[in-house]
Amino acid sequence: MGTQVKDVIIKPDAPNTLLLDKHADYIAAYGSKKDDYEYTLSEYLRMSGIYWGLTVMDLMGQLSRMNREEIIEFIKSCQHDCGGISASIGHDPHLLYTLSAVQILSLYDSINVIDVEKVVDYVKGLQQEDGSFAGDKWGEIDTRFSFCAVATLALLGKLDEINMDKAVEFVLSCMNFDGGFGCRPDSESHAGQIYCCTGFLSITGQLHKVNADLLGWWLCERQLPSGGLNGRPEKLPDVCYSWWVLASLKIIGRIHWIDKAKLRSFILACQDEETGGFADRPGDMVSSLWSPSYKSLHMHKYFACCFTRSCHSSKRAYRSLQYILTSVLYFHPGGSFPHSVWCGWSVFAGR
Amino acid sequence: MHGRVKVKSTAQQEEEKRKEREKKLKAFVSARDAVLRKRSAGEHDEEALQLTQQLLSSNPDFATLWNYRREVLLQLETSREKDEVQKLYESELHFIEACLKVNPKSYGCWHHRSWVNTRLPQPDWTRELGLCDRCLSLDERNFHCWDYRRVVVKESGVSVEQELQFTDRLIGSNFSNYSSWHYRSTLLPQLHPQPAPDSASNTSPSPTASPQIHSHRVCEEQLLKEYELAHNAFFTDPNDQSAWFYYRWLLGRAEREEMISCVYVSRERERVSVAFSKPVHAQSEGLMLVLDGQPQQVEWRSTHPRLRHSPVWLCDLPPGSVSDISNEHNLTVHWTEKYTHRDCALYTGCAESWCRDSATDQELFRSELSVEKSSVLQAELQSCNQLLELEPQNKWCLLTIILLMRALDPLGHEKETLAHFQTLKEVDPMRSSYYSDLCSKFLIENTILKMEYAEVRVFSLSNKNLTTLCHLDQLLLVTHINLSSNQLLRLPPQFAMLQCLEVLEADDNAIESLEGLYHLPKLEEVSLRNNQICKLSDLESLASCTKLTRLDLRGNPVHKTANIDSELSQLLPLVTALSL
Repeated sequence: MGTQVKDVIIKPDAPNTLLLDKHADYIAAYGSKKDDYEYTLSEYLRMSGIYWGLTVMDLMGQLSRMNREEIIEFIKSCQHDCGGISASIGHDPHLLYTLSAVQILSLYDSINVIDVEKVVDYVKGLQQEDGSFAGDKWGEIDTRFSFCAVATLALLGKLDEINMDKAVEFVLSCMNFDGGFGCRPDSESHAGQIYCCTGFLSITGQLHKVNADLLGWWLCERQLPSGGLNGRPEKLPDVCYSWWVLASLKIIGRIHWIDKAKLRSFILACQDEETGGFADRPGDMVSSLWSPSYKSLHMHKYFACCFTRSCHSSKRAYRSLQYILTSVLYFHPGGSFPHSVWCGWSVFAGR
Repeated sequence: MHGRVKVKSTAQQEEEKRKEREKKLKAFVSARDAVLRKRSAGEHDEEALQLTQQLLSSNPDFATLWNYRREVLLQLETSREKDEVQKLYESELHFIEACLKVNPKSYGCWHHRSWVNTRLPQPDWTRELGLCDRCLSLDERNFHCWDYRRVVVKESGVSVEQELQFTDRLIGSNFSNYSSWHYRSTLLPQLHPQPAPDSASNTSPSPTASPQIHSHRVCEEQLLKEYELAHNAFFTDPNDQSAWFYYRWLLGRAEREEMISCVYVSRERERVSVAFSKPVHAQSEGLMLVLDGQPQQVEWRSTHPRLRHSPVWLCDLPPGSVSDISNEHNLTVHWTEKYTHRDCALYTGCAESWCRDSATDQELFRSELSVEKSSVLQAELQSCNQLLELEPQNKWCLLTIILLMRALDPLGHEKETLAHFQTLKEVDPMRSSYYSDLCSKFLIENTILKMEYAEVRVFSLSNKNLTTLCHLDQLLLVTHINLSSNQLLRLPPQFAMLQCLEVLEADDNAIESLEGLYHLPKLEEVSLRNNQICKLSDLESLASCTKLTRLDLRGNPVHKTANIDSELSQLLPLVTALSL
């Protein structure tokens, strides 16, 4: 009798070293196959896909393999009259892709190729009376968008342009019995939302409002016997949660509550040895019948790479990740970031 | 597209599939281009609806298409009668439902459905509730559906009681019912809120009135019923983690009453230290200091620059205002934002004074249940112990027993608690660090309680496998602290709250960082033998502790630094007894 724990089994022949070059090659080639089905299908999130790819290449020291000029031109053509930025040309503006665009431009130290004031107006205009943020003019409310708003403005040095007290009040109203956060008030706790909310609270200097011990427990309970992390109780592990859960734990200063070694072996086992890239979980590889760029739909898994990198024996890699995180800690409003700063993740201002 | 296993196949099959893929891509691209062309041309017609319908059915995350669709619908509305608009949107609901069948987790679909309901002249909430029921019966964890259900319930006036019964049914019939327990946690405070405390005796507002943090407390009677519900669930299935999570919430403390827990005054330093019940930003709290009936112009500062929000704040009194020991003074700190204050009398002949509510008074570390009802917890503890006999490796049970023991009698159960933590680390090794930190926290709490009962200002917790420090705001008055023979890695910024500290012993740890040894005005003696202090810069903050004369750093890697003796005497010229 009793509930079976939902989990996966890692096979003994699963990859156990980090195949960095394969991943770098995979990302560098991503987007060159513009006639690819899944690549085209994922156009609705292209801006974010580019951001994820660039960040990981930067972490691997191979950012120069990406086409900076082409990407910057692309971003310029994605800014709409209202100031908002879309995922791709011909798509509608949205906070999600506005943030991704600002993150990319910060990475490339080229924020002024777009109309920054209009971006700020766009973000401000999406704040509602209760402090929440809509994703776009069609009014969907979600704490993800609260995060996008403050992360965007923090990168632009314009956090004072919104009603901060109300914004904080709304996010806190989404805190649940288990210490976690959901999309809207009364929504169930979910690792992705927790990442957004703890990130939000970090950027806005309100982390003391989080019950770090309680939330940290909920988060470390995401780790399953396989070593992988799920996004909420009774769900299967997914390598993208290495990012959402870990980043949240880092923000609230409880990252040591996860078993690092076991997580590392889970992430490594998710690698596709043939093509590069990561699958959701070991043994869940995409069929070779489909183009590997299908995985572009889940590019955020590459952040798993970042964590693994920091576990790697390479001290340089670890130091560079640390540098990135520390640099962002001492963010100067209005200043521009050094190239290697992974500015989107100013959330690491927590300890 | 999730969850497909990788399979090899023949070259021919690959070629066929490649051709098929190419065909699909062509069809998609042509439809997409046609749609975007139409939109650029400002065409809002039936054809637009058809084209977007085609694409959205298999690509519901293509958000721009939903936007276009909405523009078209709004346009069509203007040329239709009310009953036609009703039909238009009802057919839209039909389409959305078809999309949801294929993709029940698309943000775009669910948002569009919500939007349609705002346009429908006559929304049918009963039908919507039915949709939610069906959707949840297929996947009880679909949070999109739960969120949609909350909207439907609100609009249609379904009662909280009905929804509670709904959760009863789901919890009773299924494992993986975390979503239902969660929903319950949000319904209960609506149905059975904590009654407001007697306003005559209480200066602070009711916990449920907290504007910033959504309060989750329920009245005691209902709370006890919930214990039973959760208890029955995990007794039926001891691996049903959702019930254990819920139970932990039930055992949790209510938010502390917002108040000033301690005011400490030092004549010599002419300084006031104030401890609040939660971290605050002093400059924003409307603090007022009154000395002998006169409001004082003071500037509040945190104990450490990294602590922008802190439970402990300091200010300096005007020079000469309290330095004469033959004078008596009355000091009041007003926390005007919370309508509360604390007085502190500084008597003749006394170099210092304080006024505080002890941790015991505040019942800081206990459950908030009243004495009579703690018999329920006693019974729960017994039952859980019985369960543990049947399932000795069940970590949920072990942890819950620890929490129950703390709720009932933290000091009385200390030994058992330590033993259970040891078992927990064995049966759930992935979370060893968590258990170590939690155990450390409980030991610190117990030591604070013992210190208060003994009415001393000495905090001693050595050789207890401490991995972390917490509740440092409770140690404002401590003069001597012994943390030797533990596993501490750092003395964090919060350590700077120990404003009365004179002697620190922290030998035999793994301390690398001394950030918290910062402007401790009374600190005279520090022993840090056998730690991990590696660089001269690790010791920089000590220079701010101007009374420090004795420092023992033997057994630290820093002794290997070139010219360490002279470097240290330059950094810390006031230290006369230095051991390396």
